[in-house]
Amino acid sequence: MTSGIILLIINPESLFSAMISGGEKATLLSAKLIAIYAVSMGLVKIMENSGIMKKLSKILMPLNKKLFLSDDETTNGYISTNLSANILGLGGIATPMGIKSVEALYKRPNSFYSTSMFFVINATSLQLFPISVIALRSTYGSSTPSDILMPCILCTLMSTLLGCMLVNIFIKRKDL
Amino acid sequence: MNISIYIFPVLILLLMLFAAFKKVKLYDSFALGAKGAFPLAVRIFPYLVTIFVLTELFEVSGFSDFLSAFISPLLKLCGIPVELSKLMLIKPFSGSGSLALLSELYSKYGADSYIARCGSVIYGSSETIFYVAAVYFAKIEDKKLLAPIIISLVASFIYSAFGCFLCLLI
Repeated sequence: MTSGIILLIINPESLFSAMISGGEKATLLSAKLIAIYAVSMGLVKIMENSGIMKKLSKILMPLNKKLFLSDDETTNGYISTNLSANILGLGGIATPMGIKSVEALYKRPNSFYSTSMFFVINATSLQLFPISVIALRSTYGSSTPSDILMPCILCTLMSTLLGCMLVNIFIKRKDL
Repeated sequence: MNISIYIFPVLILLLMLFAAFKKVKLYDSFALGAKGAFPLAVRIFPYLVTIFVLTELFEVSGFSDFLSAFISPLLKLCGIPVELSKLMLIKPFSGSGSLALLSELYSKYGADSYIARCGSVIYGSSETIFYVAAVYFAKIEDKKLLAPIIISLVASFIYSAFGCFLCLLI
């Protein structure tokens, strides 16, 4: 809002064109996303049908029960896929699974707590190996492009942990 | 670096082999899953447009420059180089925008400089918070996102500062 008002005062002609240019970028991205989602959701369906998802959800069941208060197998399958894809940095799979997870958690009791927890874990970054950053650094002639790896991993883990703790403290949940 | 290129393709291949072994109908399953992609993209489209328009206005209006000047003292206090203020502001909104800023930093200060390394850590250990909020909650009608967004921003900020501190040591 504030940005819009400032722009109106400084440079009125560019307000609408800036908005259109934002819309254009979003449209281009959506087109790309359709392709990415189609491929990744196709793969995820194969995972589901071959029983890998069930196994993954079983392995992570204790974690999911504690963090998201969910003992539903399908829900946990989505969550587990989202989290593991995020850790590996596969955003194309993580996003559609994230949307499905939020939807599934929302239908369950204590949804404010569980969706908040899920959101915070996702929003404080899970990707352990920032491949794009390392690649970018090496194209800009860095001699040790991966020396940021340790700080990145530490900060990623610790910010997610802090986020979980804050959710636990500030967002109420009813005991079931 | 070389090995990491192979991880994903190998995973896909293993998945296919395992599924075939389990007698899953690969063709049908894949198509069935892919069917959901279009409605999903349509569903999140309005929120994508909104967040992109906001980001664009934020940048073009110079409001981001103003704000980054405004938060600079705070960053300085926390030990984050002030040159990174714009990156800190844009990262929660846009991944591609902040990646562009990051490469700008690399070319301006050199990829091995302290500023570039701090920027890399901040970029690599934080997430596009508002984008995630917009997309993940696109299907939910009564969104209660204020508290979780604040929590995420606070946690990310604290560890951005910590990351810069680590860059001093390593």
